[in-house]
Amino acid sequence: MRGQVRAEPTRRLMFAAAGACSLALAGCKGITVLGARPKTGADVIALERAITAEELMIARYRLALAALPAGQHHAGGTGKSKSGGTDRAVVAALLGEHREHLAQLRGRLILPPRLATASPRPTPTPSAAPAERRRILAELAAAEAAASDRLIGWLAEVPPALAQLMASIAAAEAAHVVYLGFGRLAP
Amino acid sequence: MSGNLAERGLAGPHARTKRQVAALQAALAAEQAASYGYGIVGAHLTGTRFAAAFADSIAHQRARDSLTAMIMARGGQPRPAAPAYRMPIAVHTAAQARSLAIVLERQVTAAYLGVVALSEPALRRFGADQMRSAAVRSARWGARAQAFPGLPASSLRRR
Repeated sequence: MRGQVRAEPTRRLMFAAAGACSLALAGCKGITVLGARPKTGADVIALERAITAEELMIARYRLALAALPAGQHHAGGTGKSKSGGTDRAVVAALLGEHREHLAQLRGRLILPPRLATASPRPTPTPSAAPAERRRILAELAAAEAAASDRLIGWLAEVPPALAQLMASIAAAEAAHVVYLGFGRLAP
Repeated sequence: MSGNLAERGLAGPHARTKRQVAALQAALAAEQAASYGYGIVGAHLTGTRFAAAFADSIAHQRARDSLTAMIMARGGQPRPAAPAYRMPIAVHTAAQARSLAIVLERQVTAAYLGVVALSEPALRRFGADQMRSAAVRSARWGARAQAFPGLPASSLRRR
């Protein structure tokens, strides 16, 4: 409305406020004295979802790395032999990119340390990983494509700079499908 | 006048439309350059590679046409393509043609950042979809993986 003076909080402050809100939910009772709890913004929720999605992806890649044969003849070898070793190198490189994604996304969210570690952590069991390498790569590729779509679906909720970061990560994830061996042009 | 623009915008609808047109023009310029560049790429390739270059050039022409329509729908005047573009790489071999394709795709990816920063959801989504397609094409041409396609390093926060 016109005439209403309202300070525009900085993005970081808003995220910090949202963090305080989650803290209240986690059992901090005194906050009611301060009045109504600020509602967690849609932008913070979208960012938290993106962070969780990256954590899941990292878990998937670590599983895949553990399940991929290091070499064809001696498991646990140098990882140099044929396709097994190459796949491992690709998966390890893409895992590194996901760690970078996670670091950047986390950098946009300011939360108390306790909460930052309280986010849902995927605990998949190594035995759930499929045996053959082609299937492992195909599952990673499917997960990448789905994650890329989801990120793009959340774009409308976030401020411009975060939208650019998320769009870039979505693009990287779609490209990962190619690097995993799906849709690459013949050499 | 589009009433809903006025409702949603902090600034007036005019300023908002101007921002949209400016971002779309920047993306259009990159698509025009890519459309031109792919002609050079295709000229140095044969077989499936040529077919891929042809398909990619069609994708850029489609994007260019969409951008042209979006600019006109907002009362803007799409800037015409230049008659010729200086390519960042001299192309004499198939390998150089692939390198050029990668450079073109990277330029296109970055050019859509401004569109992604717009607040209109449809435009933001269009920009993001185009960034994604360009990153995928770039990977297909054999580009090295990039953690943050299109983003300048300066926009990333140091850990």
